[in-house]
Amino acid sequence: MTAPIDNTASTTALVGTRRLLPRLAGHGGVSWRRWRYPFTRRTPLLIETGYNPTTLATERRIVNPAPILWLIALAAIAVAPPVFGNSSFISAATTFALYAAINVIWMLTIGTAGIFSLASLATVGVGAFGAAYLSVYWGFPWWAMWMVGPVFGLIFGVLIAIPAIRLEGFYYALLTVGITELCRVYVIQSQKLGAAAYGLFGADGFVPKDMAERPGLIMGFYASFVVLLLALALYRAIDGQRLGRLLRAAPEKHEAFAEALGINYRAARIQVFLISSAALGGVGGFYATLLHGASPSLFTMDQLMLLLAMIVIGGIGRTEGAVLGTLIVVLFDKVFIGLGPARLVLIAGIMLATVLFTRGGLFGIPAQYRAWRGKRQTERRGQRSGKGGEVMPDEAMEIADKQSIVARRFDARVRAELKALITDALIEEHRTSANKRRSDALERVLTYFRRAAVADKYAVLAVKPFAEYRIVALSGRRGVPPRVVDDQVFTTPEAALHGVFLKRVSDLRDST
Amino acid sequence: MDPYYLALTTINLAAIYGLLALGISIIWSSLGMINMAQGFTFAVSGYGAWLVAQHISTNGLAVVAGGVITGALAGALIGGIAFIPLYDKPNFPLRSLIATLAISLMGGQCLLWIFTPRVKALPKIFGIGNVHFGPVVASYDKIGSIVCSAILLLVTLAWMKSSRRGLEIRAMMQNPEGAALVGVGLRSTAMAVMMVTGAMAGLAAVLLSQNYFISPTAGVTPLVKGMVVALAGGLGSVAGALIAAILIGFIEAVTAVGLGGQYVLITQFLFIIAVLLVRPRGIAGMIEHTRE
Repeated sequence: MTAPIDNTASTTALVGTRRLLPRLAGHGGVSWRRWRYPFTRRTPLLIETGYNPTTLATERRIVNPAPILWLIALAAIAVAPPVFGNSSFISAATTFALYAAINVIWMLTIGTAGIFSLASLATVGVGAFGAAYLSVYWGFPWWAMWMVGPVFGLIFGVLIAIPAIRLEGFYYALLTVGITELCRVYVIQSQKLGAAAYGLFGADGFVPKDMAERPGLIMGFYASFVVLLLALALYRAIDGQRLGRLLRAAPEKHEAFAEALGINYRAARIQVFLISSAALGGVGGFYATLLHGASPSLFTMDQLMLLLAMIVIGGIGRTEGAVLGTLIVVLFDKVFIGLGPARLVLIAGIMLATVLFTRGGLFGIPAQYRAWRGKRQTERRGQRSGKGGEVMPDEAMEIADKQSIVARRFDARVRAELKALITDALIEEHRTSANKRRSDALERVLTYFRRAAVADKYAVLAVKPFAEYRIVALSGRRGVPPRVVDDQVFTTPEAALHGVFLKRVSDLRDST
Repeated sequence: MDPYYLALTTINLAAIYGLLALGISIIWSSLGMINMAQGFTFAVSGYGAWLVAQHISTNGLAVVAGGVITGALAGALIGGIAFIPLYDKPNFPLRSLIATLAISLMGGQCLLWIFTPRVKALPKIFGIGNVHFGPVVASYDKIGSIVCSAILLLVTLAWMKSSRRGLEIRAMMQNPEGAALVGVGLRSTAMAVMMVTGAMAGLAAVLLSQNYFISPTAGVTPLVKGMVVALAGGLGSVAGALIAAILIGFIEAVTAVGLGGQYVLITQFLFIIAVLLVRPRGIAGMIEHTRE
């Protein structure tokens, strides 16, 4: 006997597949839609207006709440460290803002341009060393260092872009790791770049020398925060505008398609790569003015791995992932400094866990959860269809009359319930109560039997009235006579009807 | 410039780079994974050999065995963490690359934690002294490292060529899906590959530690060099890796003698970039994607 089908499961599974959007009261879409980011056709907030289907009240739905969340998060980052933190916390926040800016720009190379370059930190280092060198030996002031940083970044970018034209994927990634190592070895061996002092220090800084320590730290933090905002704006301007759209049409392994559309994806990739290299060099110049110099630790493998951990934990290809990953890693690396060497092991552990269990970092978890839930739903549906009558999803596509699917499902449920009712006592009751009042259970069974389609329905044929009755099955087609089912012969109509009943019961029991 | 010295140095460097590059190359072609934790295997094997030398015996054979066994174990650990859970998941190449990087970071920090940053030195397992072959003067450790790595390379190549496991590995290198269909166990073969390449890195660690010290970050330079040698030779090609190892060893020897040690990496990289610009898949690599 099969268990009655639990249809509550299917209704609860349907709830939740619809997206839950924040709702506001009243119309307001018109006024929001009029606002634009300057020089673009982008609205700050995508708002949908409509009527609530139940109450018919007007309402606004925020289609994408990300800008609001960004605003809240950035406001918290801007306000919290100077207000609540001590000096070391503020310098950790400065590191966070700087690394977040580097990661956001790096995301342009990896995500938008699709060039898996691991030389981002090396580009920053080249900008920093170049600016520091010019400041130490040629006496450049801090504002000139900010200007030469991008130039050094661009030159380095051009140099490492040459192999990127021919190499692809991991070949390029491995080469850039090598280039980073080359930079490190060069810097620690070069006398002029401070091989003895482990870094080139003594460059000019933008924080005035007569400033007290804490205001100086706060000023450094806010300058880094502005760098982060500029990096986000650059990301938005490249990824969201023409270059980003061109490259969105040319993802990996679909380049030929983009080329057929007339998109020069190679030029677009190199352009994005050079822009992000220049921006990284600019961050390097800023770094040199912030720390009054540059240290070769920028080129070490461990630092590169920390940077990679930041973008991997948040999710490669998303700015919010880059910022959150940076936050987590910097929190462990700089704030929980009391943990000693264990903190780097912890960071590596988080990185490993992220990569083992998630497909796209922390921000990929919602999509991964939805995919998993969809898979489980399909599995459950498949299991249900094993219990008779239920239609498999791919079978359902073939059936034009969707009502018949529902009818089959309903029929299966009714059959399952009726099977539970049929007992020997019930069969005995049917035999003895031919023209009498019958129990509720028997009536239910008989009503189901009577409802059956005419084709192949059992009937009683009076061969000789009051002497010989046989069971036949109707053909269901006009002009085609019924066929005799078996060679049983009954002497009374009541016995014949009970014979039909027994046949129906055994058919019901055999059905799934 | 003494041509014999040059040749000897070239062969010595080529043997060690060959060991490192061959491991990376075999892993890439048979498992489709870039093993960035090869440097960690290298560092761990150095410490394994050092522990054997400290606590068990300073006999050369025992020290080498210590390094090789530690390397094989580290390789198995990396395979168990980065390959077994990930190989049938989406986006496997990138995720395994990052997983091996994480293992490398974690392992390096653990070594730093356990053994402190102070460098260790292995005993001179080949003894100290020089051998004269006519005009050639060679120190014991050079001869020893050349002989050792040549033996291991030959044994590995012979094993790959003639044993059943080697046949399975080569089948997996050519067509992983086809190999799985005809009954080659993906997981067991992968673990065998990881252990063999780990052992190669372990031997390279012991041999290189004759001239350099053992430290938690000692694996970085060999990793980078092995990687770029494998890259220049063509990822997945055994012959290419050996050719590239000889060429790059020669360039290193010439640069060190002619220009000075600090220019070694620069000339090497210029050479590799030039090679890759002409042949983007390396000297003996295949142009088409063989693994998708």
